[in-house]
Amino acid sequence: MKFNFSYTIDALPRLLEGALITIEIAAIGFILSLTIGTLITVFRTVIQSRLLNAILAVYISFIRGTPLLIQIFLVYYALPAIDFLPGPGELRIDMGPVTAGIVAITLNSVAFVTEILRGGLAAIHKGQYEAASALGLRNYPLWRKVILPQLFMKTIPPLVSEFTQVLKATPLLAMITVVELMRVSQQIFSANYHPVEVLLGAFVIYFLICFVVSRSSILLEQRFAVRRF
Amino acid sequence: MDLDFKIILDWWPLILDGFKLTLVIVFGAILLGIPLGGLLAFGRQSRFKIISISATAFIELFRNTPFMIQVFLLFYVLPFYGIRIPANIVGIIGLALFGSVYYAEIIRAGIDAIPRGQLESARSTGMSYWQSMTNIVLPQTMRIILPPIGNQTLSLVKESSILSTITVQELTMSALIVQGQTFRPFEVFIVITLLYWGVNELIATCLRIYERRLKRRSTLVLAGTSSNQRLS
Amino acid sequence: MNAVDQPLIELSGIRKTFGEIVALDGVDLSVARGEVVCIVGPSGCGKSTLLRTINWLEVPDSGQIVLEGNSVGTVVKANGKISLQSAKDLNKIRSRMGMVFQQFNLWPHLSVLENVARAQKIVLRIPQKDAELTAYSCLSQVGLSDKTGALPDQLSGGQQQRVAIARALSMNPTLMLMDEPTSALDPELVGDVLGVLQKLAEDGMTMVIVTHELGFAAKFADRIVFMDRGLIVEEGVPQQILQNPETDRLKLFLKQLGEMNLAHS
Repeated sequence: MKFNFSYTIDALPRLLEGALITIEIAAIGFILSLTIGTLITVFRTVIQSRLLNAILAVYISFIRGTPLLIQIFLVYYALPAIDFLPGPGELRIDMGPVTAGIVAITLNSVAFVTEILRGGLAAIHKGQYEAASALGLRNYPLWRKVILPQLFMKTIPPLVSEFTQVLKATPLLAMITVVELMRVSQQIFSANYHPVEVLLGAFVIYFLICFVVSRSSILLEQRFAVRRF
Repeated sequence: MDLDFKIILDWWPLILDGFKLTLVIVFGAILLGIPLGGLLAFGRQSRFKIISISATAFIELFRNTPFMIQVFLLFYVLPFYGIRIPANIVGIIGLALFGSVYYAEIIRAGIDAIPRGQLESARSTGMSYWQSMTNIVLPQTMRIILPPIGNQTLSLVKESSILSTITVQELTMSALIVQGQTFRPFEVFIVITLLYWGVNELIATCLRIYERRLKRRSTLVLAGTSSNQRLS
Repeated sequence: MNAVDQPLIELSGIRKTFGEIVALDGVDLSVARGEVVCIVGPSGCGKSTLLRTINWLEVPDSGQIVLEGNSVGTVVKANGKISLQSAKDLNKIRSRMGMVFQQFNLWPHLSVLENVARAQKIVLRIPQKDAELTAYSCLSQVGLSDKTGALPDQLSGGQQQRVAIARALSMNPTLMLMDEPTSALDPELVGDVLGVLQKLAEDGMTMVIVTHELGFAAKFADRIVFMDRGLIVEEGVPQQILQNPETDRLKLFLKQLGEMNLAHS
């Protein structure tokens, strides 16, 4: 069999559409995860609860210790199987594949994001809290104006890296019928019997997306570091 | 909600086979991946431009693409060139290639952590670069890279679940089969999850013990240099 | 001129720059067999760099180094062109020189005995048993025959440096290079190492030592070489250098060293 580049070209428009879905899903998932992760981080620092930290530790250990694919299956297949109402009547959580996919990815990413933020927080001098409190800043303004900006500036590289991980996780959603780039590729080559050409196109698109994102980390750092005085 | 864990017992042989295959595949991937990672690590530093560029390109390609598409390509490309390999072997190769890239970085960091003086003192006796590496530098490197290598192995265990998408009958595939036969996704996936989690925690715990032992002998890395001397 | 009169090692026109910085600005140095030469000078003068070019750990930009009639690092081809020496030849000639480092650089994963035996086995292809015998004898020479089974991190700095010297001696070198052998040692341990060096000097070993220990140099050096800013400024017998310095730079150096010693005492 000879490699026929025209199949790659022909597949491109649909592949790019799929890529768009991939990026959207990854973006939504990551933004959610960042938001929730930040809230959790603030919460656990303000409310120093052993119980909370223990629960989080178990949660993080679970997420980091099991394959993402299994987590996705758990959310999509296992969760709807649970009937929360004993006896007559049913209460189930039923989600479409896209929703389930985003939920699974978010739940997964939150574990890593909280760890990243926790590490970044530890690197911020305790004096920051004291100085800000002394100036009369409490809670919300303290966090918003003093701590969080520093935290995010410090953690840009690992956060961008985590976003790249999320991007690389999206193809797994093809296994629960989400039509992103991977699934689109499968649809195309199962019709034209040229998997190599089509997959190569998808491969290159994935590479470009991830490569650009990971390189942008440096640019982001520069942009936000300008504010240093 | 009625749970029926008995079906797990019925299907246990299949699940166990999947579990064993997962371990075999990961083991094979480590066996292939670490030497390959070493080659990449040294290749990147090569004075021959063509080698260093190839190594860097390889690393960038495999770091910036999802594992799933790597194995899919591998799965379909090989028959394209007339090479017929069973899916399990394709899985091992794919996982090894994926892992090698991260192993390369770990090995490089490990070598750089060894003080330059170690290489210099070896070379000043007349040892060749490779003699110095194998006798003096790499043995020291091995000791310190074990924790990150262990962590990467954990990552490989998790990534191995993706091999279910190319018909490899490892643990995740077993779960899907049993689920398809029994229509009891909850029980099946819970058990599979616990198996993965268990393996992970086991490896992680072993690593923690090793790291603690290493900390006590952390002086080993700096021993033989002036920064670690007794006062007698 | 017969072989006895020929210098053991000869450096000519050694130049070395690190980017913008000129570390060595055309240095010539000859060392006769059995001679002990101490190189001194302010920090940054290039003395360590010069020492390290002798066994090609630093590659000079230009210049030639000849050890016992054999070229180090470069070869002059039949057509007069200079090219880099083959790795094999370079390794071979390096094995004729022993080097001792400021940071000792013992191999922490090997026992003391193995530290001294390993290079013999690999480079000189001496079998295990013979290598260990030689190692044992070298360790006795430096007074550490009771530490053969120990690991480097179990020894004091002075002991580690003596093992390093034994390691260098085990290769039966014609020349010993020492890069500030006592600078990283606590003062009370310096004496042990100097004692070993003294013995080596008395036994006729050719040595080139970069050092701050002017006391040692005064007693055991045949010649002191004073360097500053990449050049040899003055050289001569210890008495002349230390008692009757000619150049202003040397006078300044000695004065500063004297002030430093006063400040410490």
